Amino acid sequence: MRQSNGNLILGGMTIVFAVLVIFVWIPLDTQTGLIEKVRRQVTIGDAFAPTIAACFLLIGGLMLVLSERNAGGQPRVKARDVLFGLALAMSVTVSILVMRYAGPATLGLWNLFTGGEAEYRLLRDTAPWKYIGFLLGGTMMITLLVSLVEGCLRIKTVLIALISVSIMAMIYDLPFDDLLLPPNGDV
Amino acid sequence: MGTLDYIWLGILAVFQGPALISVFGVPISVTLVMILFGFLTGIAVGATPGLAGPIAMAIALPILISIFGYTPDALLPVMGFLIGVMKGATIGGAVPAILFNTPGTPDAYMTTLDGYPMTQKGQARKALRVAHFASASGDTFSDIVLIICAPFLALLVEAYLDFPEKTALLILSLSFIGAVIGGSPAKGVLSTGLGLLAVYIGTGEDFYPRLSMGSDHLSQGFPIATSVLGVLIIGAVFKEMTDLWHQQRRSGLQPHFTDEGNQRLSRSEIGRLLPVVGRSALIGTAIGALPGIGSTLAATLGYTVGRARYERTKSDTAPDFGDGAPEGVAATEAANSSVSGANLIPVLSLGIPGNAAAVFLILAAESIGGFNPGPSVFRFTQDVVNPELVIAFGLFTAMFIANALNWTIGGLFMRSMGIMVRIPKHILLPTVLLLTLTAIYVQETRIEAIWFALGFGALGYVMRLLAISPLPFVIAFILGGKLEESARQAFAATGGDAWFLFSSPISILFVASSVGIILFSATKKRQNT
Repeated sequence: MRQSNGNLILGGMTIVFAVLVIFVWIPLDTQTGLIEKVRRQVTIGDAFAPTIAACFLLIGGLMLVLSERNAGGQPRVKARDVLFGLALAMSVTVSILVMRYAGPATLGLWNLFTGGEAEYRLLRDTAPWKYIGFLLGGTMMITLLVSLVEGCLRIKTVLIALISVSIMAMIYDLPFDDLLLPPNGDV
Repeated sequence: MGTLDYIWLGILAVFQGPALISVFGVPISVTLVMILFGFLTGIAVGATPGLAGPIAMAIALPILISIFGYTPDALLPVMGFLIGVMKGATIGGAVPAILFNTPGTPDAYMTTLDGYPMTQKGQARKALRVAHFASASGDTFSDIVLIICAPFLALLVEAYLDFPEKTALLILSLSFIGAVIGGSPAKGVLSTGLGLLAVYIGTGEDFYPRLSMGSDHLSQGFPIATSVLGVLIIGAVFKEMTDLWHQQRRSGLQPHFTDEGNQRLSRSEIGRLLPVVGRSALIGTAIGALPGIGSTLAATLGYTVGRARYERTKSDTAPDFGDGAPEGVAATEAANSSVSGANLIPVLSLGIPGNAAAVFLILAAESIGGFNPGPSVFRFTQDVVNPELVIAFGLFTAMFIANALNWTIGGLFMRSMGIMVRIPKHILLPTVLLLTLTAIYVQETRIEAIWFALGFGALGYVMRLLAISPLPFVIAFILGGKLEESARQAFAATGGDAWFLFSSPISILFVASSVGIILFSATKKRQNT
């Protein structure tokens, strides 16, 4: 069986990244260098600590290339694992977006039909508006993730998700006046 | 104020804090109730495959802070709960390992080797009793060592280490953690570097927030909760979900075994187990005192040493290790449980977290304020009360209360937790994910924090796919700010000497050890390949 060269690739990429951090990112994106002279006093500049961090990366990369290049049991990253990871990330991202915009969108529709001019910001701590985003987005997140693993979408999954999210909303919202469910803290 | 006065104040802070309930007219302090609640939660969580102590801590922390607020009075109830979870999860992990051959926590894997064969032979309850006895003994021993060692170590650090030496000690800790956690020193060092780089984004002393690429979103840096929970919890959930997806076709019914014969532990059996427990407790405590080396290694070493000794002394009729020997269960459980107390030695004496549970204790202390784990805690001031020292002794008291609960009700509660394995993991994990994201949001109250946490979760997922341990990342993220601050102070204290790390024999020793540990582990790894 062919020996995996995963460590060599990871090590090489880490070395390139560390060099870019030291010679490009840090010089371009920090105000002071490694050491600064302020009012005749020499102090450590803002570039010092990130350079130490990049040195750790560089050492790690060099160790991978020089001493662990042929290490046994190197992980083989399978394309299907990456794809599944992407599917998980997409599901969560879409659910968070639903969580963020479902409440304001529902209120917008409500205003459209009733001719009202209510603002979501003013209603964000008022039932039922404060629950809409969390319940819809949360239920969607759990349903999508469970369905991805099961390979099919079932009504039972949606119901379990809805009950779980409702319990969660009660745990965080009912006993505490100062806690705001997502996304109501910064809309 | 003498040492005994401080110890007494710590005990009083736990027992005479604000009362929550009254039993027969005796007020029961809220800290006591929280320790009990945390301990029971920990057992339940440890007994649930897919969950672990850190997940319960992550979800509970914002709720607890909302209940108790950001005052020093909140420290003991909140940290008492977390200590309870930490201890409960350790014994809870043995339940599914023994009953269903499924370790509840990673360090309980070795428990399956003898625990499950005992279940197959109809000795499930006896195996659980052995696990509980060994676990409680190891835990108690470890706590005693912690209470004796942590203050002395802290006093030594304060007496002999100045800013340059403290900076060198932090570098040594990070190098050590990077080199020893996980199977690859190179990947450990890489993980440490990533953690340091992440914590330095958007921070610094200049007007312009460094490495923020001009973005307002990055200009305040990453909140600690987003990085810790993202990499540790969300990354783990994503990876577990992937593993579950792979295992979909490998499902089957759990076989059922009926208990046969006497399930109690006799005095002679306890006497036979004691040397095994003692040896494993020593191994676990020694390993736990070093930051970063987890309970899994302790369990493996405890089991290996226990097996070597057992094979020389066992009778011909006794089962071998791996065939259902109670000594095998005891060797593993005593070793992994004795890590938890000792792991707090570097946290309380040096401010350096050694495992995920310690990370959450530091997170709680930082969130609430009024307690900064590290050598300065153990200042035995004579004329003025040092409140941090009172809290430290309060925490020691909390650990002993958790131990007392472990000895009294722990076994009974643990044996009733077999049902937790029936909770479907693929439904539990997305729920944990949403709970974690909600916990982050209620703490930070901005949707940006959720995106950051998901970003760190993706990083944690990729790290796990590449077999890079995420723990050095998290520890480096926590220690990064302290490292920079200490270096700035050392630089100023030595009059702008660029070679401040080589200004004293102790700091030279620490720096040389940092280089030495990395070179040694790299060479050893190379020889093994």
